[in-house]
Amino acid sequence: MANFQPYLQSPLVNFNLPAQTVPADASQKVRANELPLLGYIVLRGELADAAVAQAITKATGLAVPAASRFSSGEAGVLIWQSPDECLLVTARAAVPALLAACADAFAGLFAQAVDNSGGLTTVYLSGVEHVTLLRHLGVYDFESVEAGDAVSTVLGKAGALVCRVDGDGVFLVIRRSFADYLWLLITKAAIPYRFAVAKLPSAGKSPFLRLVDAGSPAKRPVAA
Amino acid sequence: MFQIHCPHCGATREEEEFSYAGEAYIARPAKPEEATEAEWGDYLFMRKNTRGWFWEQWQHTAGCRKVFAVKRNTVSYEIAGTWTLAEGKELYLKESEA
Ligand SMILES: [Zn+2]
Repeated sequence: MANFQPYLQSPLVNFNLPAQTVPADASQKVRANELPLLGYIVLRGELADAAVAQAITKATGLAVPAASRFSSGEAGVLIWQSPDECLLVTARAAVPALLAACADAFAGLFAQAVDNSGGLTTVYLSGVEHVTLLRHLGVYDFESVEAGDAVSTVLGKAGALVCRVDGDGVFLVIRRSFADYLWLLITKAAIPYRFAVAKLPSAGKSPFLRLVDAGSPAKRPVAA
Repeated sequence: MFQIHCPHCGATREEEEFSYAGEAYIARPAKPEEATEAEWGDYLFMRKNTRGWFWEQWQHTAGCRKVFAVKRNTVSYEIAGTWTLAEGKELYLKESEA
């Protein structure tokens, strides 16, 4: 066992996205790329309960979002999933400290924080036809997704969270086990739109893109 | 194909996001140890299979993953309303008394 060296791999590692990545340009009507190896923490607890909501805000510094919305800030993005569940998307390196902060803040409450970083990944879908592409993939009325919305729906046969920060594109939070299927589905459906695996835009103030820069390298060894 | 209003998300979504979860408000025998085999059989297997208005459960599997109550017409597929299980139960009980 001494030789066992665990390491992190994106669920899309076999597509070798870093090697395929090209600069973004206007001719690409649909672009996609992965935000690999972010941190994902599931927060359970009755959000309508003021004590739970305050504890979440205390631990994460983020406001509890309204139904089908997300809030964002220093710690990352807090996505509404259900009346008693939120998903915190954060930098991978920030997970242990946030889990500890949640455990502290949730003491005595019927609430829990669970690390699900191994279970999810995020894909950024952009380009002028990205909404058209979503319409190929799912039945939701994707034109109506506004900035700040986080819609949990079906793309093809797999569930996905569709989060819009601005008009340029959407962030798809998807399950690890379906990442392969969804990536193939997206890339195939996007062929007519001059699809490209494009370099992610510079993070700026984007609450999602910032997390990549904040320490989620494609392959970072895990200390034993 | 129809649309269902999820009382938890507060949104009307496509049927594709939901899973059917059977007849609503089936009461488990109050004293399981004393229930006869016939009562257990009734609880486990017998369903109303109504032609017309029917109280059933749907789960918002692709959304909030909550189960809720739907009153649906099994002939016309018309939906009279959707409620959380607790809210729906009051209406259901009122209707069953009438
Ligand atoms: Zn729902």
